[in-house]
Amino acid sequence: MDEDAIQLSFDRLGLSSQASIREVERAYRELCDLYSEESLATYSLMGYAERQEKLELLRTDYERILHSRLHRAPVAANLQTAADRQYSALPATIVCVDADPGQDPGTFLQQMREARGLSLRDVAERTKVGSFQLQGIEQHRFDVLPAPVYLRGFLKEFARVVEAPDIEALVDSFMVLYLNARDGKMM
Amino acid sequence: MTGSVDLEHKAPRPRIWAIGGGKGGVGKSVFSTGMAMTLAQKGERCIMLDADLGGANLHTFLGMSHPGRTLSDLFRNQSLGLKDILLSTPFENLWLISGARAMLDMANPSYLQKMKVIRQIFSLNADHIFIDLGAGSAFNVLDFFLAAHEGVVVVMPTPTSIENAYHFLKAVYYRKLRKVVRELKVERLIDAALSAKVKSGIRSPRDLMIDLQHRDPIIGEQIVRAMMPFRPRLIVNQVQRNEDRDLGKKIALACRDFFGIEMTVPGLIRTDERVLMALKSRRPVLEMFPNCPFAEDVRRIAQQMTRVRR
Repeated sequence: MDEDAIQLSFDRLGLSSQASIREVERAYRELCDLYSEESLATYSLMGYAERQEKLELLRTDYERILHSRLHRAPVAANLQTAADRQYSALPATIVCVDADPGQDPGTFLQQMREARGLSLRDVAERTKVGSFQLQGIEQHRFDVLPAPVYLRGFLKEFARVVEAPDIEALVDSFMVLYLNARDGKMM
Repeated sequence: MTGSVDLEHKAPRPRIWAIGGGKGGVGKSVFSTGMAMTLAQKGERCIMLDADLGGANLHTFLGMSHPGRTLSDLFRNQSLGLKDILLSTPFENLWLISGARAMLDMANPSYLQKMKVIRQIFSLNADHIFIDLGAGSAFNVLDFFLAAHEGVVVVMPTPTSIENAYHFLKAVYYRKLRKVVRELKVERLIDAALSAKVKSGIRSPRDLMIDLQHRDPIIGEQIVRAMMPFRPRLIVNQVQRNEDRDLGKKIALACRDFFGIEMTVPGLIRTDERVLMALKSRRPVLEMFPNCPFAEDVRRIAQQMTRVRR
């Protein structure tokens, strides 16, 4: 991805390019709040259309940064913590979950995560995906999830960390649900 | 004792503060009086300058009924200087330069009259000078604001007050930009940028700066650098609701993000009905209710603001 565009996105969120994912999420949420319809601080600054445009731009910046971090994840993996190494050294254990990965991939991921004894924060640290988004995936809250191109990456990371079987099929069934919901909303 | 001297030693003397904010009735005079009284009580020599020409009433805030000499005497009499119209107040270490009894034409003093006042402010013998500005964004108000070392913008948590504050900030920013551009002799560059304003989508000072840097990277950079010290402070007054506690931070964030104007937020002032009670008795709040929430908040802000910056 274009380095300049990523840098510009960091600038627009008021962050340095060294900011952590948590800082990125906090800045993003603060700015969304600042430019929300109810915001007293920006009430007189812009009309409805300009506000929507601003929020859309923020979302694009946020997603671009997350996406760039996701691509850096393999590099980061070399610097994993002691706890991480311990975790990956454990043999994959067989767990029993009752959700159907085809029908309800979010709940399936949640049950897999719980069966592995991982909190949302644990998964967030290992995937570099925010826990807010991870929860959005588990609960099929499509409105909080990013564009498909990023979402696929998030799902794959999530499934990999909880050692889900047949990751590709799981991602595909989630994407089908997501796209149906999105297109349904458009009509 | 030496501690406070040490903190102050880098600040200019007198340190000049201008208090503005666009809208009337948000508490500019009450805040200026509170700041001056706080510092005067700590032994610092303070002068209040009532620059609300045409609507001056600082003397009433200080419990003085008929100011003797005022700015109108200075404007009428060439031989008088600012120090000749300095009035003692009922309070130790606190003096007043009144703008009262102004003639109708005094709300708009000539450029020369204004420059005379601004020049002389710097030679007054005091630690702090508080210039209490009138409402609105007229050139007089903007020039006093820009002449001061520290500009303070006072707002209230209402849409109208915030709207006027943004208008004021933008006006004062463009006024300063004009000066910078004139000093650098690059009027043509800025005229070109502004005439292409609509076409190139310039909607805020921030957009203009980006456009200038694009048009001429070297001069653009010089302008950006010259504008950098412009860093007003923001006080949110009459805060009542919990959700308005971080309003100052939000306005500062919007200013940075939307206008490219950096602001600092030294604190907020809670709503306090004792302010109105004191006003009705024509006595300063800090004298009548020295320990009320308003007094506490102003003291905290004064402490924060008199720390040497950077």
